[in-house]
Amino acid sequence: MADRVILTIGTKKGVFVADAAKPRRTFALRGPFGPGVPVYSTLIDTRGTPRLYASSCNPFFGMKVLRSTNMGKSFTETKSAPAFPKEDGRALVNIWSLEAGGGKKELWCGVEPASLFRSHDGGDSWEMVPGISNHEHARKWQPGNGGLCMHTIIRDGNRMHLGISTGGHYLSEDSGETFRASNQGVGAGFAPDPYPEFGQCVHKIARHDDAPGRLYMQNHGGWADWTGPGGPRPDIGVLRSDDSGRSWRSIAKGLPSDFGFPIVVHPHDADTVYVMPLEPQTRTCPGGAPAVWRSENGGDSWSRLARGLPKKQSYFTIQRDAMDIDRLKTPALYFGTTTGQLWIGREGGEQWDCLFDSLPPIHNVKVAVV
Amino acid sequence: MAVAPTITIHVPGPLRAYCAGATELSISAHTVRAALEHLERSQSALYRNVCDETGTVRRHLNVFVNSNNVRDLDGVDTILTPGDVVTILPAVSGG
Repeated sequence: MADRVILTIGTKKGVFVADAAKPRRTFALRGPFGPGVPVYSTLIDTRGTPRLYASSCNPFFGMKVLRSTNMGKSFTETKSAPAFPKEDGRALVNIWSLEAGGGKKELWCGVEPASLFRSHDGGDSWEMVPGISNHEHARKWQPGNGGLCMHTIIRDGNRMHLGISTGGHYLSEDSGETFRASNQGVGAGFAPDPYPEFGQCVHKIARHDDAPGRLYMQNHGGWADWTGPGGPRPDIGVLRSDDSGRSWRSIAKGLPSDFGFPIVVHPHDADTVYVMPLEPQTRTCPGGAPAVWRSENGGDSWSRLARGLPKKQSYFTIQRDAMDIDRLKTPALYFGTTTGQLWIGREGGEQWDCLFDSLPPIHNVKVAVV
Repeated sequence: MAVAPTITIHVPGPLRAYCAGATELSISAHTVRAALEHLERSQSALYRNVCDETGTVRRHLNVFVNSNNVRDLDGVDTILTPGDVVTILPAVSGG
């Protein structure tokens, strides 16, 4: 019976693991694991005996994938990490997403420069997925501030949704064999054409099993005051699709800013979605007062959740994979900051407490009940 | 072509786990490039830490022949002579 809540925390200086009993009163912290290098992606694989995975972006010796089979007491390198074929001409820069696949040991991995890899043996060997990695658009995508990253991999039966910054949303309906750009309604503020076929700076995409066809997206917003070609582009930052990502519409009205990175869906209610609005220029909390914003009606309206969070003088950033929600009956949200704080939002975000306040800058937070 | 000179590759501590703990490797190669290609064949795990998929020495690594950085010589085309010591070192960087 699942009775522990476990967190993986990817930081600038390695991966930490924290766990707690179900009441989540206190978490025990272990780590850092790895050679003290950035960890941008982690995965808590709950299929069978839980396994924890973490990318390890070693600036000296290249990318590694770390794996733990003892609930994060120790990590070892897998036998290999994703790598481009020698004749491809590209070299791996970073790993941005690790996701469980359909097979027992199947893993998917999104990397920089934006490409997709697949493992059938729990990460010991990897093959590049050509349908997207060699897509006709692939050499035209441009890096955003974080690099040219494939940061979102969502599987939905035979469908697969990918989020690429800056490439946009790509959809496969044949289990990842072929992909097409699917960005109708997804705006771009940094190009003369406000709605290009591809090239949008998608920040994160989320879905819920109970709402077939529905997706939520945090896109690169913050273009309401744009005065260049094409005119202002308000509210392009937070979007929703009800047709499996074929088209998207804004749900940003009511938010203090449509810029942000993560977007998270409540585990038991597909209409409840969370974002963390940031000032588009500084990418920090509006007015120095951080808050998570929640919609309980699929994005029609939003409310501010900030009880327990600092009321002023807090100018951190929450990166795209640094917020998650557990699956307990009354779930808790978690987010990590670039200033090294890990916050828990109890009662679905109603009450916030700082679990750890001096970790290295946090890139990634994942939670599971195991 | 003349017989390739025997040289020594000094392996830095963090990479010894990728070559069965060896601190030094003795190989025959005419150039640094040939030495790296030798590693690719004989010590593939070690090689992947030194060079990326395109065969380029990783950006934050320095390769020395004796006390000279190959960057100041002829890069990976630097000629090796018998008894040379090739040292692979992480650059001083980070934060």
